[in-house]
Amino acid sequence: MNRLEAIIEKEKEVSYSQEDKDIFGSHILILIYQEQESKKFKIKLCLGLFLGMGIMSFSFSAINEVVNDFAVGLSNVMAGDFTTVAILSYGLSFVLLALLKKTDFIFN
Amino acid sequence: METDEVLVDRTLSGEIDCYGVLVQRHADYLFGLGMRFTAGNREFAEDISQQSFLRAYKYLKSFNPKKKFKQWLTGIAVNCYKDLSRKESQYLSLEVIDEPSYTPDLGGNTGFFELIKPLAEDERAIFTLRYVYEYRIDEIAETVGLKSGTVKSKISRALEKLR
Repeated sequence: MNRLEAIIEKEKEVSYSQEDKDIFGSHILILIYQEQESKKFKIKLCLGLFLGMGIMSFSFSAINEVVNDFAVGLSNVMAGDFTTVAILSYGLSFVLLALLKKTDFIFN
Repeated sequence: METDEVLVDRTLSGEIDCYGVLVQRHADYLFGLGMRFTAGNREFAEDISQQSFLRAYKYLKSFNPKKKFKQWLTGIAVNCYKDLSRKESQYLSLEVIDEPSYTPDLGGNTGFFELIKPLAEDERAIFTLRYVYEYRIDEIAETVGLKSGTVKSKISRALEKLR
């Protein structure tokens, strides 16, 4: 036990000092600043993403509406055109056939 | 000279430079603790000191001004020492190497460092706080978050190992 006590007593007399205390202190403060800035950046990033997502979803819904309207309009237009073209083509062919018959009649 | 508690208060109110004063004031103490816990491993001791100051800043709001800042910091240093030791052992178990990554740098009383080597992490910390820093049993219990009985049994176990 005396040996133990002697070692402990000797150890109490030893003093340890942190090398370059000024640099060490500044280093700790820099790390703290970095951590704070990183936290702020993360918060800003999250807010930015959240707002971005909101704006994107709003824009997409608006674009989607426009596209839908356009598609419906286009299909209406296409459907209308198709009928007209069909009527016109059938009409034209009928007139041509009639004319052909008429030419036979005329030439005969 | 402003007390630690005043500096903590000023730090919490946004004057971060006041924390720099606290770091300068307790840097030697924490480094010494680290050196003794790690049996003279300078690199490891510096890591403990740095991590302790960073963690202390993170949890500064939870500091009770009725208690001593130094004692609160000591508790954080003990926890940092345990956490870093655990990480280090995990690292060693992953990579089979002959030498530890933290190489001992015996820059103090090598007799003491040799003495505490057979002790487990928490035994080293408690033994050092009790016999080198002369903390009372109840103070150690409060610092490391254990019951006084547990601290006593750990000290007697440590003494048995050292005899």
